[in-house]
Amino acid sequence: MTNSEDHPETLDEFAKSFFYGSRSDISLKFVKDLTEAEVGDFLTEMLTGVVAAIDDGDVTGLTEKFLHWQKHAYVGHLGKFRFQYDDVPFVKPSKPLADSRVALFTSSGHFVQGDDPEPFGVKDMTQQEAENRIIEFIGSDPSLSTIPVDTPGADIRVRHGGYPVGPAQQDHNVALPLDVLNTMAQTGVIGEVSANAYSFVGATSQIGLRKKIAPQWAQQLLDDDVDLALLVPL
Amino acid sequence: MSVGHVQRAIETVGIPTVSIMVDSFAHIPGLMNLPRTLVTPHPMGRPTGAPHDIKRQSEVVAAALDLFTSDDQVHKTFPGPYRSVS
Repeated sequence: MTNSEDHPETLDEFAKSFFYGSRSDISLKFVKDLTEAEVGDFLTEMLTGVVAAIDDGDVTGLTEKFLHWQKHAYVGHLGKFRFQYDDVPFVKPSKPLADSRVALFTSSGHFVQGDDPEPFGVKDMTQQEAENRIIEFIGSDPSLSTIPVDTPGADIRVRHGGYPVGPAQQDHNVALPLDVLNTMAQTGVIGEVSANAYSFVGATSQIGLRKKIAPQWAQQLLDDDVDLALLVPL
Repeated sequence: MSVGHVQRAIETVGIPTVSIMVDSFAHIPGLMNLPRTLVTPHPMGRPTGAPHDIKRQSEVVAAALDLFTSDDQVHKTFPGPYRSVS
């Protein structure tokens, strides 16, 4: 929805337009979860923060305010959270970090060029199409992409309809820290990086993931004989 | 949430796990009772740090791996601000 003479846009319509609407922006989709009063406060703080940043050249305060509102909107969803557990799975490492094989597993939607998971059979799906088909992603089982840890950074791609991928497109390490782990292996901080990292699109069927898919992926890491696993959601 | 299911499944088969989550997801480790989590003061889409902020990315991954020294469930917050370099 945008402004027109026939229908001046309301603040509520403006807020909702960022959530897969006319102003679709995954970094700003949380605005729809703010009340109208909160949207007003959010916009006021952002605008005054911009003026302050113009004067002092420091965006730290503006960033902090943005993060506050982003978190506030997401925490507001707590009442809808379905997957709460009373038990804690916990096992201690069997060997020192410096002797351990470490696996990297992310829900960031990374894959290797030439090995596109091709969601719904679509070749070369764009980021925009992934966002447009977010409902289908959420209703479907995920596919797992294998990323050899020696893959050149230029060959690593990312696509994710649920979260902002702009930063991950600039530098995969923001969510797939392969370079960091490889350096840690070279300097002896960890024993080695497991030969393959894994990534999937976290916007997916939660029921299928929990009951069927996640146990299969856990078995994959057992087959890889890893000692520890680092997981990173986007 | 998706990674939470996977983390619990991996830990359940006997592999110790740690996850790195942005502050907007800080409520998930407690609700899903995840074994080890590092929460970072970053906007969504940048769990280990800003693009090309190698210093912060390295510090975050090191802090996450350090949680493997804990004898119990642990949820820790990495100190802000967002960027390690201005």
